[in-house]
Parts: sequence; C-alpha cells; structure tokens
Amino acid sequence: MSQNNSTILPAADEPVQHYPSPLREFWQGFAFNKGAVAGLAFMVVVFLAAIFAPWVAPYSPIEQFRDHLLTPPAWSEGGSMAYLFGTDELGRDILSRLVHGARMSLFIGVVSVLASLVPGVILGLVAAFSPKVLGPAIMRLMDVMMALPALLLAVAIVAILGPGLINTIIAIAVVALPGYVRLTRASALTELNRDYVTASRVAGAGKLRLMFVTVLPNCMAPLIVHATMSFSSAILEAAALGFLGLGVQPPTPEWGTMLASARDYIERAWWVVTMPGLTILFSVLAINLMGDGLRDALDPKLKRAA
Amino acid sequence: MFTFILRRLGLLIPTFFGITLLTFGLIRMIPGDPVEVMMGERSLDPQMHAEALHRLGLDKPLYAQYFDYLGNLFQGNLGESLVTRESVWTEFTTLFPATLELALCAMLFACVLGLLAGVLAAIKRGSLFDHGVMGLALTGFSMPIFWWGLVLIMFFSVTLGWTPVSGRLDLMFDIPPDTGFMLIDAWRAEAADPEYNAGAFKDALMHLILPSIVLGTIPLAVIARMTRSSMLEVMQEDYVRTARAKGLSPARVIFVHTLRNALIPVLTVMGLQVGVLMGGAVLTETIFSWPGIGKWLIDAIGRRDYPIVQNGILIVATLVILTNFVVDILYGIANPRIRHAK
Repeated sequence: MSQNNSTILPAADEPVQHYPSPLREFWQGFAFNKGAVAGLAFMVVVFLAAIFAPWVAPYSPIEQFRDHLLTPPAWSEGGSMAYLFGTDELGRDILSRLVHGARMSLFIGVVSVLASLVPGVILGLVAAFSPKVLGPAIMRLMDVMMALPALLLAVAIVAILGPGLINTIIAIAVVALPGYVRLTRASALTELNRDYVTASRVAGAGKLRLMFVTVLPNCMAPLIVHATMSFSSAILEAAALGFLGLGVQPPTPEWGTMLASARDYIERAWWVVTMPGLTILFSVLAINLMGDGLRDALDPKLKRAA
Repeated sequence: MFTFILRRLGLLIPTFFGITLLTFGLIRMIPGDPVEVMMGERSLDPQMHAEALHRLGLDKPLYAQYFDYLGNLFQGNLGESLVTRESVWTEFTTLFPATLELALCAMLFACVLGLLAGVLAAIKRGSLFDHGVMGLALTGFSMPIFWWGLVLIMFFSVTLGWTPVSGRLDLMFDIPPDTGFMLIDAWRAEAADPEYNAGAFKDALMHLILPSIVLGTIPLAVIARMTRSSMLEVMQEDYVRTARAKGLSPARVIFVHTLRNALIPVLTVMGLQVGVLMGGAVLTETIFSWPGIGKWLIDAIGRRDYPIVQNGILIVATLVILTNFVVDILYGIANPRIRHAK
C-alpha cells in the first residue's frame, strides 16, 4: 500500500501539505485581479486622507482666500503651488475641500450601507424562514420599493424630511434595502435545502439559531460583494442629492455639493467642474473594481454574471 | 400563456396598491401638517387652519383619507398643482413626451453600441479590445452622470461649439407641439414650411445628442457587460460547436446561432433599465434644462408643490411596474421554461 502511494504523495520526510488558511486563500483570489488591488490601494489612500483630513489638507475647507478667486491648478498657466488643484469661486482651496469632502462621502457611504445591510439581512432571513404570510408580505413591500426609481425615491424622501446629512443617509439606506432583502432571502432559500441545515434542525436548533448561526454565515459571500457595490452607489447617490441641492448643505464640503455651483463656471474655470467629478468617478470606480475582485475571490459561482 | 399573464397580473395589483399607500404616506411624513406647509403664515389663524384641514379632508381619520385618495384616483382625479392650478395629469401628459423621446434615444444609443461592443468583446475574448471595452464599461457604470453631462457640455458645447447647451429647440423656431416628440414635430413643420422652418429638424437632433449620451451611459455599460458574458456562456454550448463543425460561416454562427439565445438575459436587463432611465432623467433633465418629467418633479419639490410630488411619483412608479410587467410577459413568450415554471 504505502509503496504504491509513495509515488503520488510527497516523500515522508517532507512536511504534510497544508491547505492555505481561508484568509490567505481569499487574498490569493483577490490579488489575482490586478484592477481590484489597484482599487483597494486607491481606497486606502482615500480613507487615510479622510481620517487624517485636518492634517493632510493644506488649508481649512471653508477658509476663503479673497485674493485668489478661481486660481487655476498648479500645472496650468497662472496656477500656483500654493493651491495644487486651484481655488473655487470663493477662493477656497479645492484640494482641501476634496480631502474634507472624502470624510463626508465615505461617512455617508459606510453608515448607509450598515443602515440597510442590518435590517435588510434580518428581513431577508425572516422572509426565507416564514414562507406563508410574513415572507410574501415582506417581498411585496420590497416590490413596491423597487418600483420607484432609486434616485426618485431618495429625492422624494429628502424632499419630505428636508435636506441634510442624516436624511441623506436615511434616503440612501431605504433605497438600498430591497436589494439586501432579496439577496438574503434568495441565498437563504438555497441554503435551507441543504443537508447541514436539516441536520441542525433535527439536532434541535431553534429558529433564531438556524437563521443567524447556521444559515447566515453561508450567505455572507454574495452579501459582502453586494455591500461593496452598494457602497459605491451610496457615494454616487449622495453626490447626486448634493448636486440637486438636497444633500449635505453648504458650506460643508461634500463632493456632489461642490459640483452644484460648478455649473456656472463651466466657461471660465474647468478645474472647478473637473476635480470633484474626477474624485467621485475614481472613488466609485475603485470600489467597483474591488467589488469585482471580491466576487472573484469569495464567490466563484458568480464570476460569470455581469 | 393566458394563465401566465393572469398570474403576473395578480402580482401587479397588490404592488400598485402598495405604491398608492406609499405616495399617500409620503405626504403624511411631512413634519407638521400639510396645511402649515401649503399656507405658510396664513395657517397661523386657527379658524382658517381648521377650515383648510376640513376642505382638504385632513380632519377625517387616516383610513377615510386613504379611501378618499383612492376614490379620487379611480375617478382619474390626480389633483392639481398648488402653483399653477393645472391638473397634475394635464401637466404630466404635456411633459411626458419630452422624457419619452429622450429615454428612447438614450436607449437606442445604449442598445446599438452596447450590443456591438459586447459581441465584439466576446468574440475577441482576452484581447486588448476586450480589456478596453470592459474597462470603459466599468468606468461608464461608475459614472456620476450629472458630472458627465457637465463635462460633455464643457467640451462639445462651450469649447467646440458643436451642440447647444440646453433645451429642446432653438428659440428662433416656433413649432406646434402636435405629437410632443420634437424630432417628429420639427420634421413635419420643416416639411410643411421648408423656408420658414429651415433647419428645425437638425436643430432638434443636435439638442438631443448630448442628453441622450448622458442618460444612455449607464445602460450602455450594463448592456455591454451583460451581452459579453451572455455571449461567452452561449458560445460554449454544444449546439454552437455543432453549427461551427458543420461548416457554417463564423458570422452566421455568431449572429444567428449565438446572439439570438444570448439576447434573452440581455432583454431582461434592458427592461430593468427603465427604472434607471427614469432616475437618470431627473439628473439629465436638470443639467440640460430639458422640459420633461424629471425636471418637473424636481422643480415641484423645490416649490413644495406636494400634489405633483405625490401623484407624479405615483405615475412614474406605475409606469415602471407596467413596463416590467410587459418585459416579464415578453420574456415568458421568448422562453417557455419561464412561462411554465411555478
């Protein structure tokens, strides 16, 4: 026996081959996607800039340099190194506003993702575990919310509650809720048919234990991917609300709000329009690239889906 | 087939009532009561306040108010604007063609380019072209479209002077809104009076180009990605290999055998884009001062014109569920497996 096996197995004195730890395996899958790594690197920089904004930004985001209205960026004619990305119509340093704006955008993104993820997962699990009455009722409610175009629903909520940071977060979280509920329910339903769930049930696990300890951990992969993607759309929606004047109110620096007034300077100051927009685009793109990488690493089944 | 449609219709009705509950509830979520918001200072007089509440039926219990609301809806009464005193339905029907025209052109742009790019990327899988298309698609998908609109205006309208900045038609033209579709109206007006209305059609077209690109960008990205992955999947099927093996030309294999089946999931995605288009219309119309539904709703919100906000949203949501219903039915026709699934 051992004679035969020795040709296949590694020699006895070599250490037995271990499976890579889950974390390592995940990182290998993630790092295989170069775009995802680039996105991660970009987001780390943005997060660090946001956390250490007062130290990173050269000036205060609301300080107005009245002698330097609409100064072009450093690399173009008439620009100065003092204002790397130029100044806006009130003489505020655009780079400083972008750095402080990152705090606002990322904060809105993180909080609204959590605010829709937690209730979304609970509702989705409840819907999967009570297929008679409660489940269909929840799903119909989600259908109603899905029927409203996301941005329109967000705009309506903010219009009713009034503009501002908290209401922006509420609006974005409400809009994202149906996605989580549907996804959780769908993955929980497939898991419910698996043998390990039946085994756990036969062993006498209660409903709550089945929901959160047995089934939920096995639905995490698509949920993490979805959370990443909805983080990027939260940033986009927050910026859109800010652009429409319904988001965070000036003079608080926020990426979308910075663009709201930029329209008037299209003809004379391209940097006022370009800089905040590029920041939004690159951040959202970076997060989406990360999302692709996460999907490849966590959930090979989803690889082919668009 | 008939039972399939009935079953889908059965799902539609509770959704519709859910939406009416939602739009009904939206107005009740306003801090304070609507009369304070609508009347401003005047509502401070307690008697006038009570009268206004009574006139609007707001002193009745909530369920009675809801049934009043439903009753009005079913009589086709969607209320009137607080500002213009015009009925909400009239305003909607006047403005809707502008949005529809824009949305159709955006969808045309997105479908033609998206299908083409997706198919080519799938054929040349792994090539530089494929990576380029997928990179661009992800960028388009991540695009803040309100900024994209500003950039396009900055480049094509301001710097190059190729396209107009905003609106649907140059002010020098006076075209009767027969159909509400500016392209058709302008074309007909030009045909009727070639001298007076010379260039009207071209002008209308030039006004449409940038807004269509802006509104179509995200659907374009989604369609391109979906087409590519769906094509790649179908290309691995045995019957495609058979088609190739029996010596059919590559073009025939791609377009007749592969694309037709690859299109089914793409169609569903296109249907889902209707909601995206309506949301995008809010931003696109605001940037380009396009006189459509999106701008109408945003303006109404700015003026606190609640009947428009409430019932405008109701109409849009109804449109979205109706479109999704039609897509569902078409999908059932195209794919019997869906039709007979429980």
